[in-house]
Amino acid sequence: MTMRWFPDEMPEPAASAETVGWWEAAAAHRLVVQRCTDCGHTRHPPGPVCPHCRSLASEWSTLPGTGRVYTYTVVRQAFIPSLADKIPYVVIAVELDGADGVRIVSNLVDAETEEVAVGLAVEVVWEDMGPELAVPRFRPSVTPGSTTAGTGERR
Amino acid sequence: MDPAGPTDPPNRARPVTTGGGRACLVGVGETRYAKWGGITGTSEYQLAVEAVLAAVADAGMTLDDIDGLASFAEDRNEATFMAADLGLPELRYASLSWLPGGGGACAAVANAAMAVESGAAQAVVVYRSLCQGQFRRFGQGPGNVPARVGPPRIPHLRRAKTMLEAHIAFTMPFGMFSPPIAYAMVLQRHMHLFGTTEEQMGHVAVTTRAHAARNPRAVMGDRPMTMGDYLASRWVSEPFRLFDCCLENDGACAVVVTTARRAADTAKRPVSILGAAQGALRGFGHGQYSNVGMPDDDYASSGARGVAARLWGRAGVGPSDIDVAQIYDHFTGLVLLSLEDFGFCARGDGGPYAASGALAWPYGALPTNTHGGSLSEAYIHGLNHVVEGVRQLRGESTCQVEGAETCLVTSAAGVPTSALVLGARQP
Repeated sequence: MTMRWFPDEMPEPAASAETVGWWEAAAAHRLVVQRCTDCGHTRHPPGPVCPHCRSLASEWSTLPGTGRVYTYTVVRQAFIPSLADKIPYVVIAVELDGADGVRIVSNLVDAETEEVAVGLAVEVVWEDMGPELAVPRFRPSVTPGSTTAGTGERR
Repeated sequence: MDPAGPTDPPNRARPVTTGGGRACLVGVGETRYAKWGGITGTSEYQLAVEAVLAAVADAGMTLDDIDGLASFAEDRNEATFMAADLGLPELRYASLSWLPGGGGACAAVANAAMAVESGAAQAVVVYRSLCQGQFRRFGQGPGNVPARVGPPRIPHLRRAKTMLEAHIAFTMPFGMFSPPIAYAMVLQRHMHLFGTTEEQMGHVAVTTRAHAARNPRAVMGDRPMTMGDYLASRWVSEPFRLFDCCLENDGACAVVVTTARRAADTAKRPVSILGAAQGALRGFGHGQYSNVGMPDDDYASSGARGVAARLWGRAGVGPSDIDVAQIYDHFTGLVLLSLEDFGFCARGDGGPYAASGALAWPYGALPTNTHGGSLSEAYIHGLNHVVEGVRQLRGESTCQVEGAETCLVTSAAGVPTSALVLGARQP
């Protein structure tokens, strides 16, 4: 098992036919984005059709796992009881490198709460929630400057 | 065409006629509002029925005049059953807007208006009942986790039962359990871009509470709030404190929509629907709750820019023509974003605009949420904002804007949404 940052009681994801591939990749600790194989447009959450060219063809494109914090919140209420000794925790939106502006929701871990800021460079770490279920969380990049994503001023 | 005739005596509904003119709001009604869990002896469904009865009575109509029912997504109280239970002579129109939760109240009214203007129905009641003490409180955590029935390739992965469930799989495992967390991130981004402050959000909370103090229906009518109280309230998810978040409560309300011709003989002054619009921006989906990837101009916004442009175009008026506003207020900060996107101030200036006192009755430039809103009157998914809009234009508000002739009503920011311009006069 890898590192655990959150309790067992965290809600586990549910998947549809369109999203199951993303979770399969996550289980293998691969951070991916759905990319249209006709026009190259990336999209998230995954869906059945490219909103740009309306192609039905897509692939899972593996990302480097780095990015920058686009926005965040410090959560100070324990919405489930087992989080009582985990608050505050930080929820972030990460603009992912190599994904043409796609952002995902995750957490900042292995950091002081005060470290979170818009534009902070982060890199993925994986938390196994079960034998075949993992979620990506992020820590401050250990090698600053390794990220190429912007601060999300424009997409 | 008159489906009811001499051979069909049980159907006493008036015949449907086209050419009845523009739609009007002619009745409003509500039940008692109480903090969640405060209404236990009466079911959520019965409260819905009571609100419908109150609205019909307020209009000076009877249920024999009603042939349509309309609501919006996430309603447990189904119109077809209600029509039977109410003994409506004939149900000729029943609709549920797809717009989720708080985004749909104005859309449900607009759909009812389209129904009566087209002649599909003659009088439609729009209703909402929410008993969060009897069902799940929206502001709470995920509740019981369903059993695993997952796809075979990953036995530990559950199969999503709804599209929304598949989408929030990308937020819930990260502790984004409920709307205040999702929209706190939107306001954090707004603060980053424009310098919006906590005190500016606090102006919305304090002003709205002051309005509620004059409203005997308001759940928080006897709980005054100062800026100091606001700043001392506990954090939920930064930058939102407890007092940035709307109420969780029990209650129901309803409004009656009919044609101008029929409205001529209703009990009270009819209120015109000058314009309505609904929808979502490209790629908006369910809004920022499940999609943080939208363009920056849309993310740190209400998402209602398109709705606003179409609304003003249809109503033939603009923000400077509005005398009073009921702006959906699930969170203080999103009121600021709505004020920007509906054009009352420049993009990014929602905070300073609120802090200027603009929202305060009676002297502000735009008295807003004169009933106390979702923050202090009641959280009925914003249908109570439509009720208050009608009261203002009848001269019946507890924070009456003198001579008010136009009222903007908006549904929720941050989800696909809708809005209305109401008028005291016929267009």
